[in-house]
Parts: sequence; structure tokens; C-alpha cells
Amino acid sequence: MGLNKFEELNSVQIDALGEIGSIGTSHAATSLSSLLGSRVTIPLPEVKILDFNKAVEELGGFETISTGIISLLSGQINGMMLALFELEAINLLLHRMMGKTVKDYSELTEIESSAIIEVGNILISAFVNALSNLTDVKITPSVPQIAIDMQGAMITVPMAAYGNQSDYIMLLGGTFLMDDKEIPCKLLLAPDIKSLNYLLYRLGIGE
Amino acid sequence: MMERQNVGISDMKLARTKGTLVTYALGSCVGICLWDPLLKIGALVHIMLPINMETNRTSQFKYADSGIRLTINKMELMGAKRARIVAKIAGGAKMFNVPGNSSLGNIGQRNIESVHQVLRLEGICLIKEDVGGSAARTLFFDVATGEGTVKIYGNVERKL
Repeated sequence: MGLNKFEELNSVQIDALGEIGSIGTSHAATSLSSLLGSRVTIPLPEVKILDFNKAVEELGGFETISTGIISLLSGQINGMMLALFELEAINLLLHRMMGKTVKDYSELTEIESSAIIEVGNILISAFVNALSNLTDVKITPSVPQIAIDMQGAMITVPMAAYGNQSDYIMLLGGTFLMDDKEIPCKLLLAPDIKSLNYLLYRLGIGE
Repeated sequence: MMERQNVGISDMKLARTKGTLVTYALGSCVGICLWDPLLKIGALVHIMLPINMETNRTSQFKYADSGIRLTINKMELMGAKRARIVAKIAGGAKMFNVPGNSSLGNIGQRNIESVHQVLRLEGICLIKEDVGGSAARTLFFDVATGEGTVKIYGNVERKL
């Protein structure tokens, strides 16, 4: 059997997913630390089961312009990972990696965009590897793709993909802290419902 | 005083005579403006998926087919006449250029096609559209004039 909708998750399952999230995000934070040369942490990754409109609002609003990097997961887990960087986070990364900053996304050159995709790729891979090792499932992330646009439209990508199954979406992720200051960057995992059931089964808390 | 109503995802708002209906950040979703020019009854639906195949059908406005049909019914209850209703649509973009994944990549396109088909089946005339591409759109719909405005990041506003 298993779950049919994300909103059927019980508190034990939510806790366990939060634990997975915290291991995944801490791996991602460690790789970000070595890139930036500063200590980066994700204090409390959260498991959120939200309706579509709430999810967009919680993540910073419909029209906020962000850089989104998406990777599709396949293998034993199907889903998507989305990394969202606001301009401040982009500048922090560019400053550390290339010694420059931009005032606007339109100033980003191709090399700088690829550098940002690479950062997204590193975060996503670190998370996915941790998840894969922990649950002993095979997950293959696709080549990441970038978009710079209204955040609301990017967050609806996983919603539209899995929206047929539920009016809610499960988001697992958090916000990075560097030297106790928040970096406006989020890392999110959105699995489809079948994969979520499989994940719970591997963790021994499926139904 | 301009009255403005926000239309969320899988949502619909109606207005009569005056007011602006707005829906933010349409990606692969499609916003459908329906308007009876005589009575100035206008509606804006924000659909996310092409066809309603859900068993319980809890959120009709999530889908192009059930969303458009329900909206037309509600407009008719307010006195609008189907033969007069015209439509303008915006959205259906492809946000990420994801390779080799047809089902995900094409959601926007499938939404556009489904909206076209449902409008045709319902006998509603589609008078203008701003669809496809890879950019998100915010859509404003002025119920008094039937005019739409599309806002795209880094671009000038476009009339719809």
C-alpha cells in the first residue's frame, strides 16, 4: 500500500525524513564550506508539506527573482532537486571564486553562470550521495540546468510534475548559514509519491 | 479606487464592471482571462495541468478542462452569455531546458494545447495569446476594459 498523498505522512515519518534531510544538507554545507573557505552550516533542515501557494510564499514569494538550478533524479528514486540562489548568494559565491560581484543578473557572463551551475551541481550531488548512501538506493541526478527568473515559476516545476497526485508538495531542505549569517540560498528535494514510499520502506517506516 | 484580486495557483477569481485580476509568476502554468464585454464580467483562472484525471476532483481550477468549464458556468450564473465570452491566455513556458525528459519539458506546451482545445469545444473565441518561450509571466487583467498586461522579468510590459 503506502501513501497516496504527501499530506498523509505521519509524525514519525516526517521526523525520519527531517533526519535524512539534515544528513544530506550537512554534506552539501560541507562542500560549500570548502568552496567558500568559510564555515557553512544548515542548522535545521525542515520537512514541509505545503499547498502550492503556501510553498511559494514560504520560499520567498512569487515574483522574487532568483537563480534556480534543477536536476532530475532517476534510478530507484524519482524526483527533483532544486537549488535557489538570490543575488546576494550569487555575489558571495562569485566574490570568493572569481573575485568579483555583479549588480544585476544581466551582468553575469557565461563563465560566471557556469560557475554557479557548478556550485548548484556540487550541492545537489553532495545531498544525493548522502541520501543514496544512507538508504542504500541508487539515485542518478541529471545534468543540472539553470534559469534566472521569478522564483514562483521555478517552484511550480516540481508541483506541476507531481501535482496530479496531490494538492500538496513535500519539500525537504533548508537555508545555509555562513559565519552565522544567512546566505539566501535554498536546497530542496521534491520526490514523487512513489519514491517517497520507497524511501520510507527502505528506512523501515513505510506502511 | 482600483480593486485588485490575487489569483493563486489552481485558483480563479471573478469580477464585474471594474477591478483588476492578477496572477503572479506563471511558468508552465497558463492564465486564462475570460470576458463578457457587454456586461463586463471577467474571470481569471490559473491552471497548472492539462487534464483533470483525479478521482475525487477536489481542485477543479488546477486543470485546464475542468477549470475553464467551471469558470464559464460561474460567469453564466452571473448573467454572462457564452456566445459573447472571449478569451485571452498567457503562460505555458518551459522554465528549464531539461534534456531528454519529454513529460516534464512539455508540461507548458501540453497546457497550451489543452486550453486551446477546451476553448474550442466550449465555443469560446480566443482573441489573443502570449504563450510559450522560457520566461515566467505575471498577468494582469482589467475587467473594465478587457485588457491584459503581461510582465516578464527584464522585459518591457506587453499588452495582451
